[in-house]
Amino acid sequence: MLLVAMAFVSCKKPAGYGDLSINIGYSVNGKPLITDSLCYHNEAGNEFMITEIQWFISQIELQDERGDWFRLDHKEVEFPFQYTTDWVFYIDTNIPESQVLEIAPIPIGTYKTLRFVFGINEEDNQTGLFTDPPESEMFWPDVLGGGYHYMKLNGRFVNTEGELASLNVHLGIGQNANHTEFYQNYFTVELPLNLTVTENAENQLNLCMVVDNWFRNPNLYDFNVYGSAIMQNQAAQQALKENGKDVFRIGKTADNENNTSMKKENRLAEGFKETMQKAAPKPHFWSWKNVKARWEQLKSAS
Amino acid sequence: MIFMKQLNVHRFTRILMACHTDRQRRERIYASKILEMTWAFVLLSVLFSCKPEPQPSYQPTPYELSQPSYFPSKNNIPADNPMSVEGVALGRKLFYDPRLSGRDGTDGIRSCSSCHHQEHNFEFGASTNTHHAMLPLINLAWNRTGLGWNGGVVTLEDMVLAAVTSPVEINADTNQVVKYLQKTDDYPALFEKAFGSHDITFINIERAIAQFVRSLVSADSKFDHYLRGEEQLTEDELAGYELFCTEEGADCFHCHGGGGLALMTTNLFYNNGLDNEFNDPEDRSAITGSHWDRGAYKAPTLRNIAVSSPYMHNGRFTTLDEVIDFYSEGVKDSETINPLMHHVTDGGVQLTDLEKAQLKAFLNTLTDEKFLNNPDYSKPNH
Repeated sequence: MLLVAMAFVSCKKPAGYGDLSINIGYSVNGKPLITDSLCYHNEAGNEFMITEIQWFISQIELQDERGDWFRLDHKEVEFPFQYTTDWVFYIDTNIPESQVLEIAPIPIGTYKTLRFVFGINEEDNQTGLFTDPPESEMFWPDVLGGGYHYMKLNGRFVNTEGELASLNVHLGIGQNANHTEFYQNYFTVELPLNLTVTENAENQLNLCMVVDNWFRNPNLYDFNVYGSAIMQNQAAQQALKENGKDVFRIGKTADNENNTSMKKENRLAEGFKETMQKAAPKPHFWSWKNVKARWEQLKSAS
Repeated sequence: MIFMKQLNVHRFTRILMACHTDRQRRERIYASKILEMTWAFVLLSVLFSCKPEPQPSYQPTPYELSQPSYFPSKNNIPADNPMSVEGVALGRKLFYDPRLSGRDGTDGIRSCSSCHHQEHNFEFGASTNTHHAMLPLINLAWNRTGLGWNGGVVTLEDMVLAAVTSPVEINADTNQVVKYLQKTDDYPALFEKAFGSHDITFINIERAIAQFVRSLVSADSKFDHYLRGEEQLTEDELAGYELFCTEEGADCFHCHGGGGLALMTTNLFYNNGLDNEFNDPEDRSAITGSHWDRGAYKAPTLRNIAVSSPYMHNGRFTTLDEVIDFYSEGVKDSETINPLMHHVTDGGVQLTDLEKAQLKAFLNTLTDEKFLNNPDYSKPNH
């Protein structure tokens, strides 16, 4: 009885607070992301595939009806002190559990706006912030400004020579040619929502990255120009920064933008579960034939 | 280097001052947690006050793993094999002792140190008759992705078993090893000190050697001195470091780290374009079952790389110059090449002779002479 009582006490949330998790999803051309499959075309007409998306989101905040902002931290916040890493979240399509952000309890109530930083802001983005993988694997060399990649989106695309070239959409701190001036390329996203957090419910919020929007509006992003090695190309970084403004949506995918109600029955719909599962890295067999055939086709053409 | 965790008490205070609503929220959470902890303490006291936890009869001396602050904070030390001074010492003795073969050693075969030479980064320093070339036995306390080129061996303890029983390595029978060591004058007492029992088991042999290998920390190269602000690199070395860390340079850092990833490896697996036909049944795909891992192998640490020849999983290259030439002009395209090989369509990163020399100069700064000559890691005198 005592053990049960202790377990109950230790797991109890403060009164007036509710749990929250944020489910991350991805869509490409209105459908859930399929990794390792050469099945996409962007606005510039490039044929491409995505192998992985690794990125940081930070300073996530919710605004309540009175206009007050509450920053969302990791559930495992280190008591009693706080670290910068408590409000920086790493998300990786190779790590399914990273696609659900478990948030420390927040006050119950209704929230009208979600705001977050894509990447990490200038104050927090310092080399040494993370010493453990996988976050440390995102480091951005000091000579290029230091800190961490905001995002690595890796894949391959068919270039103008008909070759499968590397696709590396790597965002982070930009710099001039001599590495004497640096440019912060993180940006803030603000999205309206209607989220009610209740004390006893498993409150959830779905956030979708509309991947194809990175490559259009206002800048047409052609992989033949900016396909890879863009860490030292501020023009490419700037284009992505500008395109990134409408990359995120509340909801499970881009084609279901009405899913802003966060009532329990609307959460984690089947389609979103499917997205999460498809983001898992293994196995790849189902898409192998697709790429293999395309590869053979390209080789024979050249 | 800026280590935010050391600074965040002040940041925490600042944040509380700046954000009224956050502060209220946190104060309530913390007050609640303190109350919970008090209750838990009282309950625990009641529960356990009548039944004190029985203490093991012997507690070895805890071993403090020495590491710089920029190394990972999380290690892979198993809960059932904590490092101890006595365990590391025993593992070191076993590592160098040919009696680990379960024979008297007069046949020349074999201890771990027969092939793992300290002066060669605990590799052999030449080609071997093993299936793959060797990998260094350094900084493995922070490895999280399995051992060997395909990551197929999960723990160092398992690796000891594999090496002792492998026909092309120590080629021993574990029962024979245990029996042999049990009859020696010295080992039973050392096992008693390390594990509290003079009855030798092979599991404790694995544990001791794994403890010693976890103690092999290389973090005192010239590059470490640079990271710690103790020594400046030369112009050529700095130019090489810049090449190492830039996509328009040699583009090494995504897989082999740098200042922000100072193990000098992600410990992950990549097809780096060495081949475009894949016949090795023991590449990474043997572990994952994925075609996408054909031709993929672990990116080894580049620490002490200058003394770690031969290079690549099959020991194809014997000099750093050959390796640099390969990444510059010899990268082969294939279906499964990793997308991080940005310059594959050019055949490599296309370095000039000067750039190759600068890159090599930087790689040489990763040599840790103190580690390679550290008497704590060498053959014990007794």
